[in-house]
Amino acid sequence: MRPRKVLRIARWEVSRSAGGLDRRSLAYALVALLLVAGVAPFAVDGGLYDSLYVVGVDEESGYHDAVERSETLRAVEPSEEAFSSGRLDVLVTDGVRAADTGKGRAAVSELRDAVRAYNADLLDGYDTAYPVSVDLRYVDRGTAVSADDASESVSGGSSGGDGTEGGTDGGTDVEASGEEDGFSFPSGGLDGVLGQGGRAGTPGGITPPFPFSSLVLAFAFLVPLNFVIQAYSTSIMNERIDRRGVLTLASPVSRYEIVAGKTVPYFAIALGTVAVVAVAVSGGVASVVAVAPVAFVFLALTFVGSMFARSYKELTFVTVFVSVSVTSYVFVPAVFTDVDPIAAISPLSIVVRDLQGATAPVSWYLFSGAPLVFSSAVLFSLGAGVYREEDMFTQRPVRLKALDALVSWLHRRASVAKVSVLLIPFVFVAQLLVVAVVFALPVGISVPLLLVVAAVVEETAKSMAVYAGFVSSVFERTTPNAVVLGALSGVGFFVGEKAAHLAQVVGLDRLEVGRAALGIASDASPLVLAVLLVAPLVLHTVTTCIASVGASYGKREFGVGLSAAVAVHVAYNLAVVSLVA
Amino acid sequence: MIEVRDLRKEYAGHVAVSGSTFEVEPGEVFGVVGPNGAGKTTTLKTVAGLVEPTEGEVRVAGGDPTEAETRRSLGYLPEESPLYEEMTALSYLRFFADLYDVPRGVADERIHDTLDRLELDRRETRTGDMSKGMKRKVAVARSLVNDPDVLVYDEPASGLDPLTTNYVVEFVRELADEGKTVVFSAHNLYHVERVCDRVVIMNEGDIVARGTLEEIRDEHGGVEYTVETTVEVEGATEEGGGYRTTVEDMDGVERVREEARENGGEVVDIRTREPSLEDIFLDVAEAT
Amino acid sequence: MVLALAIQLFIAAFSSFLVVGLVSLYDPGSGSVEFAVAGDTDEIVDIVEDEDAWTATRHATRAEAVDFFERGDADAVLFVERPGGGGDVEVTVIAPRSDLRTTLVVSSARDLLERYEDTERERRAASLGVETVEVPEGEASPYHGFTYAVLVPLLMFLPVFISGSIAADSVTEEFERGTLDLLRVSPLSDAAVFDGKTATAVVIAPAQAALWLALLSLNGVVVASPVGLIALVAGVTAVAVGFGASVALSFQERKQAQFVYSVGVMAFFVMTFALPEPSANTVAKLAVGSATWATYGHVAVYVVLGAVGYAVARKVAGRKLS
Repeated sequence: MRPRKVLRIARWEVSRSAGGLDRRSLAYALVALLLVAGVAPFAVDGGLYDSLYVVGVDEESGYHDAVERSETLRAVEPSEEAFSSGRLDVLVTDGVRAADTGKGRAAVSELRDAVRAYNADLLDGYDTAYPVSVDLRYVDRGTAVSADDASESVSGGSSGGDGTEGGTDGGTDVEASGEEDGFSFPSGGLDGVLGQGGRAGTPGGITPPFPFSSLVLAFAFLVPLNFVIQAYSTSIMNERIDRRGVLTLASPVSRYEIVAGKTVPYFAIALGTVAVVAVAVSGGVASVVAVAPVAFVFLALTFVGSMFARSYKELTFVTVFVSVSVTSYVFVPAVFTDVDPIAAISPLSIVVRDLQGATAPVSWYLFSGAPLVFSSAVLFSLGAGVYREEDMFTQRPVRLKALDALVSWLHRRASVAKVSVLLIPFVFVAQLLVVAVVFALPVGISVPLLLVVAAVVEETAKSMAVYAGFVSSVFERTTPNAVVLGALSGVGFFVGEKAAHLAQVVGLDRLEVGRAALGIASDASPLVLAVLLVAPLVLHTVTTCIASVGASYGKREFGVGLSAAVAVHVAYNLAVVSLVA
Repeated sequence: MIEVRDLRKEYAGHVAVSGSTFEVEPGEVFGVVGPNGAGKTTTLKTVAGLVEPTEGEVRVAGGDPTEAETRRSLGYLPEESPLYEEMTALSYLRFFADLYDVPRGVADERIHDTLDRLELDRRETRTGDMSKGMKRKVAVARSLVNDPDVLVYDEPASGLDPLTTNYVVEFVRELADEGKTVVFSAHNLYHVERVCDRVVIMNEGDIVARGTLEEIRDEHGGVEYTVETTVEVEGATEEGGGYRTTVEDMDGVERVREEARENGGEVVDIRTREPSLEDIFLDVAEAT
Repeated sequence: MVLALAIQLFIAAFSSFLVVGLVSLYDPGSGSVEFAVAGDTDEIVDIVEDEDAWTATRHATRAEAVDFFERGDADAVLFVERPGGGGDVEVTVIAPRSDLRTTLVVSSARDLLERYEDTERERRAASLGVETVEVPEGEASPYHGFTYAVLVPLLMFLPVFISGSIAADSVTEEFERGTLDLLRVSPLSDAAVFDGKTATAVVIAPAQAALWLALLSLNGVVVASPVGLIALVAGVTAVAVGFGASVALSFQERKQAQFVYSVGVMAFFVMTFALPEPSANTVAKLAVGSATWATYGHVAVYVVLGAVGYAVARKVAGRKLS
């Protein structure tokens, strides 16, 4: 890979794309923007929550004024009949009655806020609208506490009888990330969208640590990425339509340089927009650094999708799929940013922290970023494997294209070991995703579920290359061959997995499900540890052999073999968990 | 300049080329002919470095064309002319000149020279808005942007009107006369006859005949004689009051003369005809 | 098409997760909370005793309360002071960091202190002679509004956006591959060609919207007027698809067509905010069951707009093609 060539292709990619958006389309865009600007003054009035709930209240009642001031509530004539038929959510007569529905409860809660605001306004003239001021502090129980005022700070150290919280590693100094107060930063108009907010320092200003507004803002980082991958996918796809890309392939640049050159501008644009968003929502460098791996994985998936898609329509589905899957992968764990270590899976958690004005530990960057970066690198290499004349212009179903791409990595039998290693980041990401989804379930359900899913993911990853090799007749379909390939793949996976574990700076080891998924056993005896080291090697080899012998017979037999391998793997996992526990 | 040894290429179990060997000397125009699916395009793609051989070896100007650096001395023209339609002809050519590390000044001079020779004037037009012939000219110009020693032209005249076709074929001849080595494939054999020094004929992945045009003619059928007689002889067909017999050598001609005399007639005309490549091709295709 | 379905399921699963997660995991009313209180605590304790889910232990000093909390016997500490004697109240809340219960604890504390604020206000108002309104009781999931006013509109409009994008794609594809001429010389009328390119796109978005409404109702989010919502989605889809296909016919190239289309659709969406009811608000009202005649009027406008827009696009396309 020669940087000079890459940059040259990148430069032309930029100038071509700039030429691609001609004056006419920019003019249309400008007209659209002008129309929007013309409407804007009217638009600010209209809110999403306008008149969502209906309150029956007499004009004479004090409540009427409160309801009128609230945009979310609509005041109508009180009527028993309308209330009982469900047309009114709240009826104010002598007292306040709400319909016994979710909507009724939400409406009365809304009314309550409206009344409070109304009362506060009444008292505002006397300077006593907010008689209660609140200072909210978060502390780690059973550990040293950081607080701004040492003399007043909560006394530190674990005082014996805890052990209900924080796991068994009492006394370990957990990341003391400084004082965080519970008041969210003032976020102006956004609170309107979110339907919440209150004056800082008053009870109404307390925001529970569910970082709602920060989350929504973090989402804003992902929005422009969708536009970037749209343009990027078109650019890659256009190289494939009518064999246009054949001539660059015939020139003295390698396909890796072409792929890199075509990708660099979009990555730069993605980072640029992320930086702009960061400035706009008052995020910092941390946000940009954290989102970079996400942008990378967006592009990597899009690249592979664009290499496999047969038409623009398929491509649109691919981009939507990429967008949704990556978004949920990073978004779901970030929901738990302040609540649970599971959040470390997602780079977006770092953004949420950043937007809250707190810092995330460096280990979070590695833990969330590394699997994404590695997966992206593997995806790019997978896609680049089929970025060649023989593959990129053919119209084959996506499934076969994917197999082709795998096959392009297979040169001799030892290649299957390499492929197993390369697939490890995906295995890791897939398992993290599952951890993120099931961790909220009771341990009795989530741990067995994870053990099964982990087995399925790992066995599939290990046997894919062997299967692809048999299907494309790279390897001869004989049983000895299948055993050799299975063993090679199993060993490769074992080595890769152990390397990944060593490289894992922070673990999810504080979390029970994380331990189950990743097989981390920190407090086991040396003998158990030794067994734990050899046993997986045997396991991976044996199970992959089972699956690959199946694969040597055909598709259905592969299914049977794979199921058997998964069953063995699950049994092993259960045994290990019960042994360690 | 080009060496191809035991080239074999398989695509997903299907054999496209099964063991070709040939060499092309500098300054030579080398034709690869054969019907659709004979393996011509695959052979040319391997020479251009686009496709990796399953077995065998390809050397171009001493290097392996799948290595990027070797392709510096190659100019490839694919069967279709896929251009980046949003670019103008000029910027398109400049882009490729850049990929081949041709300095901007040299590139512009070369581009304009080539386009002058090809008589293409609308250089600032988006290639997407060009006619097929113009696009082909741009594609030809693109293959020359790096002043390569070796040109690999796949059906250079495909899909063009006769006038442009002639033009492009003549142009290829000129290039060879300037010292460039040209490999080109065609199924319009007329063009091959006009420009090629040597040819190979391919069928179903095999080279079935090779050599200079004379050699191939000698091997496959040679000259034909049509003897016109006043009376009927064995194997003759009646035509316009006379009878015509086609024979392959002078002995045959003598035989016909003898028979005609015996039947009380005489030979009125003897015409010779050299076999066209087309005839040879049909002959070869029937034999295999 | 399998891929398309998989993607839809994925999006549906994702949004369901959001809904279920928001509604159940963060429902502040679900679970008991124990407060350790110290300082001027009489009124606070009264309020705590009014609420079944809350309990309070009094402590003589702040340090004692913190100790109690540290041992894990209480969920949070409330320390109440009146620095100026009878004047303003200052409350220090100490809550555990990094705990699944933190959200519940803090939102309970917020609720408690808001009620405390209410009583304080009443007291002031009484002494000042100001007539305040009694604050009604009742607590609800704070995400009820969000679900109907943000999530449902998002789910309704996303397929619309994708539909138009697909219509644009299927037209530009014909140009890029040069296959439109084949269609043109076919015995089909131009309008039929246009319909063929856009019909699926027009149908798919309302169908998808219906599917999502069904999935939402499985998750406990019931929508009041599914028919109204789907009519609205159908209308807007016809606009988007007609627009997408026209843009594609005019630009003939994917990148430009998609760019103009995206900007145009977003502009359309923003411009609906100039209506008495923004489009998203119309959806919210239909979904939550607060629709008025004006709301149905808006739906009618979208349906008419869709029919007219699509017919115009079809006509223009006929002229462009021939």
